[in-house]
Amino acid sequence: MGTVTPETLTITETLSLKEPAPKRQYPGALVVVEGIDGSGKSTQLYLLKRWLEIGGYRIHFTEWNSSPLVKSATRRGKQRRLLTATTFSLLHAADFADRCERQIMPLLHGGYLVLADRYIYTAFARDAARGCSPRWLRNLYSFAPTPDITFYFRAPLDVAVNRIVAGRPKLKYYEAGMDLGISLDRAESFRIFQERILTNYDQMIETDHFVLMDGTVRVNKLQKLMRQIVGERISLQQFAPKKK
Amino acid sequence: MKRADKSAVKTLGSNGRPVKKRKSAAIELPSRFYGSALPGVKPEELSGTLVVIEGTDGSGRSTQISLLTEWLESEGFAVQTMGLRRSYLVGEDIDGLLAENSVTRMTLALMYSTDFFDQLERRILPALRSGLIVLADRYIFTLIARAAVRGIGRDYLHGIYETALRPDLTFWLNVRPEVAFDREFKKSQTISYWESGRDMSLSNDLFQSFIRYQSMIKREFEYLSKRHGFIEMDGESSVSDLNRLLRKRIAAHLGIRSTHYRPSHALSHLWR
Repeated sequence: MGTVTPETLTITETLSLKEPAPKRQYPGALVVVEGIDGSGKSTQLYLLKRWLEIGGYRIHFTEWNSSPLVKSATRRGKQRRLLTATTFSLLHAADFADRCERQIMPLLHGGYLVLADRYIYTAFARDAARGCSPRWLRNLYSFAPTPDITFYFRAPLDVAVNRIVAGRPKLKYYEAGMDLGISLDRAESFRIFQERILTNYDQMIETDHFVLMDGTVRVNKLQKLMRQIVGERISLQQFAPKKK
Repeated sequence: MKRADKSAVKTLGSNGRPVKKRKSAAIELPSRFYGSALPGVKPEELSGTLVVIEGTDGSGRSTQISLLTEWLESEGFAVQTMGLRRSYLVGEDIDGLLAENSVTRMTLALMYSTDFFDQLERRILPALRSGLIVLADRYIFTLIARAAVRGIGRDYLHGIYETALRPDLTFWLNVRPEVAFDREFKKSQTISYWESGRDMSLSNDLFQSFIRYQSMIKREFEYLSKRHGFIEMDGESSVSDLNRLLRKRIAAHLGIRSTHYRPSHALSHLWR
């Protein structure tokens, strides 16, 4: 119970910055799935969500690019192909900031387990593939809370690309990375773009502590593994329904 | 011709490394960007001039920009302008967000940066490539100041705008908050929600809120002025005096001899 002076405050602040793993400022937890299109990440997160929902846990599910905030701007930009690497990135960052400040942060402070289908690493991998500087991107998203677990679903490029191309009649302009001018053929452009994104994801496995998941493993087997990892790394008890 | 000259210098210097080195050092100009250049932009192609006029609402920016545009055009220079919320991409969306008052600070800051870069990349850089003079009615500095007083880190903000183009001249029209209040009130008979920083819960009294908010912005500008070398101007002096000083600085930069100017009939109402 010593007196707190501005000096002692400064000292503790500097010390805490040097600690390797900063203690979370909130009681909630954040679980994220990442990976290129067709890697199976959304299916797996859906199954995880169902498992937790059925168990009555306090959870919230959130998706990348889902708020109505920037929908009209994105549509306008995409229809008329006005988006540059920078404005594409900033628009998605604005959208994410809205979700972060109005959903993710309040829920984490309110003690929820938040499940995110894609997170900032999507922007790091994809926007860097478009030509944004990785350093600029890291700074842009530095306000985002660090996930407790980041599952990275990795499938070989051919497997992932075939899953997408087979299920979609036509690839969209930006989705296929046509703005990069790699190839006039959409399928070809999509493939090269996804390959670049995959390379960028792979580079983050170590630096961002991704949990690598093999997207070619059978769905139910992979889900079992995912649930096991979540159970080990997060004390699910704190999100469980209160017993009377 | 140019290419032949270059290769001649190269052959001369091929066995004497210092020659080549000195040559490349002479070409290097102070960077036109704060950090890395925007993806796909070659700074050496930008032959135009970027002049920024900064200052709060009521500092006389718009008036001066109208007058400077007319003066420059009469001198034979083509002028392009930019300002806040004027992008095709998100200009109207920001208007909508401001009207609702439900937007959070980080989202608003990033929407403004989208608005800024859409104008910069699709209108301003092409204009500068064509050798035009761009008059910017506010620039990244207002955006940084507004976000910084709302608690967003200065380093974070400078990081976002590090790919922005460095202006050739940045004028700061400095006015006291009380004077800005008088001018704004006279103009629109009311004070806007955002210009008085009402989202920051500074005071329930609009006048107090406006003064406190504008004082905070002003302190941020004092810091930015030192960091970025603003040319500080007395925004409280008369329109004609201020305009004469602005013309003098711009003329010196552009190498125009005559700074004589009288507003046309259409703009004479601004000349007080």
